[in-house]
Amino acid sequence: MNTTMENFVGLSAVLTGFSQEIIAPTLDPVDIKSEYLKKFQDEILKESKDSHLVSQILEQFSTLKNAGKSDQEIGEAMLSDQNTQDFVMACRKLIFMWYSGAWPTISNDGLSTSSELLSSKSYVSGLAWQVMQAHPMGDSKYRYGYWETAPAPLSDYTGH
Amino acid sequence: MNTLHLLPCMTSTIKATALFLLALIVQGCGEDSQKSTSENKTQMSHKMATGTLPTLSPIIPLEITSTVNPPTLESLQHDFDVFSWQSFIALNWPANADGSPNTNLTIGDQQGAPTVWQLWKESRDIFLPSGKKPPAWNQKDKLPTACQGLALDSLPSHAIYLTQVGKTPNVLDESEEPFQTGPLIDQNGQYTRFEILTNETMFNYIVDNQLYNKKGQKAFAKDTDFPSSNTQSKTVGSIMLKAAWVVMGEKYDARQFHTTQALVYNNPDEQPGVKPACHLETVGLVGFHIAHKTQDEPQWIWSTFEHIANAPTKGQPHSRSFYNYFNAACQDCAINQPPPRPWNPATPHTPPTQVERVIPITNEVKALNAAYHSALESAVAGSVWKNYELISTQWPTNANSPIDPTGAPAPSFLANTTLETYIQGEVPQTSSSCIGCHNNATTTAGLFSDFTYLLQRAH
Repeated sequence: MNTTMENFVGLSAVLTGFSQEIIAPTLDPVDIKSEYLKKFQDEILKESKDSHLVSQILEQFSTLKNAGKSDQEIGEAMLSDQNTQDFVMACRKLIFMWYSGAWPTISNDGLSTSSELLSSKSYVSGLAWQVMQAHPMGDSKYRYGYWETAPAPLSDYTGH
Repeated sequence: MNTLHLLPCMTSTIKATALFLLALIVQGCGEDSQKSTSENKTQMSHKMATGTLPTLSPIIPLEITSTVNPPTLESLQHDFDVFSWQSFIALNWPANADGSPNTNLTIGDQQGAPTVWQLWKESRDIFLPSGKKPPAWNQKDKLPTACQGLALDSLPSHAIYLTQVGKTPNVLDESEEPFQTGPLIDQNGQYTRFEILTNETMFNYIVDNQLYNKKGQKAFAKDTDFPSSNTQSKTVGSIMLKAAWVVMGEKYDARQFHTTQALVYNNPDEQPGVKPACHLETVGLVGFHIAHKTQDEPQWIWSTFEHIANAPTKGQPHSRSFYNYFNAACQDCAINQPPPRPWNPATPHTPPTQVERVIPITNEVKALNAAYHSALESAVAGSVWKNYELISTQWPTNANSPIDPTGAPAPSFLANTTLETYIQGEVPQTSSSCIGCHNNATTTAGLFSDFTYLLQRAH
């Protein structure tokens, strides 16, 4: 885990519960990860006004990973209350983005969340569809008549 | 999903996601004997293979050759693009009377002579109105009544050559782009013409399984599985082609195109109000799709080529004074918009379509095009084939994915400005993606038709 992108993908895989080969395959023509990394960097900087927060999050992930921690342990450590509120919130927002393809904004009173879709590409890339073993409305890679047979096991969708 | 329980914010995440989902509800020496000529060609090809120029070969490739280990998305894209050019060269090789490549010639020799693919089977000769069994591979069905008056006796001397190789002119009976997105109008105000063809392997599969009519498709009662190319048995699998042709004359210089004689037929079955009419015309190739089913790419490999002067690229400076489908002087012409209905190819003049390429050709493909253009020029000075360029190749990056039958194609979108003029872009399920779209193709019985809509033409 050396580059920013490698750390970003690694962290994303741990927090979402998906394998890296699913969310960022070796041969990746969609390349949603690049769009998400930029959005993550831009929005976290704007929201926290901390120019070091994203790199701090990714470095902490790298440290834990290099220490041989399991995904479970890394996930718990990243979301621990021992981190700053902004740190944890950034991780939660990262999860939201991967699942929905949108960036969340929490209201000032903390009671509601609104979201902004990043792009048509992010819409069809949302992991929520994968968890449902389904497809986005208006976009399907399944063939005509797919509904006649049961979907593939969830593990095929998540990579675990 | 073992980490989900870690997330104290998950309840709100799910809630927000649900709200989000709900919101989306509402959004390629002559004086010596033939043998020596052939040897010279072989030596030339070998020289090219060992030099800096690509090899020009009449052999259709069966699979890509990976050049980088481990391969990357970029290296594989290059390998598939080379496959496309090799295919284009082989298919456009001058043909013998039996349709095999004439190895005494090279690509670019005898401009206007029929090429290998031009002796393949057109869809109209496969799916007959009566649903009857199509004529054998080397035979054609009868011409439309309107064309029968234009018997071979009326053909100019140039076209007689076509007869000598046992081929009557193609009947171009389609004046709309595939998927009924609309006709494409040239700078003379005439309709561009289209045709779809299959190779013998694919044709034989259709005939052997009686898929040429609805009754046969219903009786077949299973998913279609066309034969794929096989590197072990060295057999060529199924290949289908789409070609777009512009009628020569006035603003179009035939010397700049691969041309052929064609019976241009106004087909009353295309649109209401179209009356049958047939004209013998010289037409020039402007667009060319190649779809090839290979062993490792069950989603097929999709290559698309165009004439180099078709259209400028959106947002980029114009490099030509004349484009086949763009008029720089027309400032208020709507871009990439089909003509208003009613559509009738008999219309004396229709305002030309103003076309721009939406997705630019990559620098890597431009470099490959330049290399093949040099090889073509080196083989035959002034070769018309250097007026054709690869746009890109779409291929599956994960052909055996258990959850994605499209195999995650790369690039995600691919369009030919003459064949998918109006659906260019990068909007999922809306913009042109060869694999993405053809993945939905079925037979008339509603079963998967193996990435081709051709079987829907059965009666």
